[in-house]
Amino acid sequence: MEWWVWPIALFAVTFAIGIVAVLAGVGGGVLFVPIVSALFPFHLDFVRAAGLLLALTGALSAAPALLRGGLASLRLAMPLALVGSITSVIGALIGLALPTDAVQLALGITILAIALLMWRSGASDHSQVPASDPLAAALRMNGVYHDAALGRDVEWRVHRSRTALAVFAGIGLLAGMFGLGAGWANVPALHLLMGAPLKLAVGSSGLLLSVVDTSAAWIYLNRGAVLPIVVAPSIIGVMLGAKLGARLLRRARPVLVRRIVIALLLLAGGRALLKGFGV
Amino acid sequence: MNREQEVYARWLDWGTRLALAVLIASFLAYALALFDPLLPPQELPKLWAFPVDHYIAASGAPTGWGWLQLLHKSDYLIFVAVAVLGLLTVVGYARIVPILLKQGETWRALIAVLQVIVLLAAALY
Repeated sequence: MEWWVWPIALFAVTFAIGIVAVLAGVGGGVLFVPIVSALFPFHLDFVRAAGLLLALTGALSAAPALLRGGLASLRLAMPLALVGSITSVIGALIGLALPTDAVQLALGITILAIALLMWRSGASDHSQVPASDPLAAALRMNGVYHDAALGRDVEWRVHRSRTALAVFAGIGLLAGMFGLGAGWANVPALHLLMGAPLKLAVGSSGLLLSVVDTSAAWIYLNRGAVLPIVVAPSIIGVMLGAKLGARLLRRARPVLVRRIVIALLLLAGGRALLKGFGV
Repeated sequence: MNREQEVYARWLDWGTRLALAVLIASFLAYALALFDPLLPPQELPKLWAFPVDHYIAASGAPTGWGWLQLLHKSDYLIFVAVAVLGLLTVVGYARIVPILLKQGETWRALIAVLQVIVLLAAALY
């Protein structure tokens, strides 16, 4: 096959990923790495680097509006991002050092676990936090944002911040190792564990991801794993797809889209698992 | 909105716009062969299925910050956009440190400084 077919196909696939990611409320990275590594001839090293850069670009693009609207909080994200960025560097180094089969196997298991997590996670609101824990209070991890849907200001605070720091260390490790971005894990950790309101958890997840993925992306870049022919069409494709996805959001049926994403993850995770076993 | 959050948002906004503009322009220059790449795209399919170490050894592609010396090659111009994306958080955090100190938020200023150190260490590793 001619070389130019691959970047065009990559653009088409990432454009579709961009649409689906917005409709399903997940980052593009979690779909990009398993799908592209399953369908395209690029080695996993290049796919992971592109996955991180793609997730990073999406998160950085969305962050200013979320920060200005108060739906992302620097106060909440900063301590967690520091821990996550340290472990993401370690994850990236481990990921680049391990044999490809082992990484494929671990990637397959992780993707299947994410699909299970998405399938089981409900939309219930666990954001009632009566009082901050001492660490969260010391770091002033609290604030107020305006919820346009409710038509009022929402005061928020978080708890279980020590446990959360440990959880975000694990999330950073996985993000760096597999180039997945980490929105799939950030939101449940912020919302269900720490008790941040769901909207704030979603907004701050992108902010966290932009810091955590930056440190891992540098490791891949410095190792030479950034292939322009993979990175550029992917980023442009996902960004344009996300814009169309945002327009389609009003008409989409979220439950159906979520089921499609879970099915895609199951297929891609299963394929990665088989690759890991050398099938 | 907090002052540091407002300033951080502004830096991210402009930096991301700049990076995306450079990314699109540089990829067009590469795809349309406006100037020579280090590695012609038709050679890539022979290498892209292999691990990065094999690719580096076979292509002579640089590691670390070696790409800075190859900015006259169309395939390495894209790295400018990638580096801008990678440095945005560093610059944004560095910018908010004096604001946090002025507000008396010493712990958060310390976290911001540590974050800058971690990101720079990753960038220079």
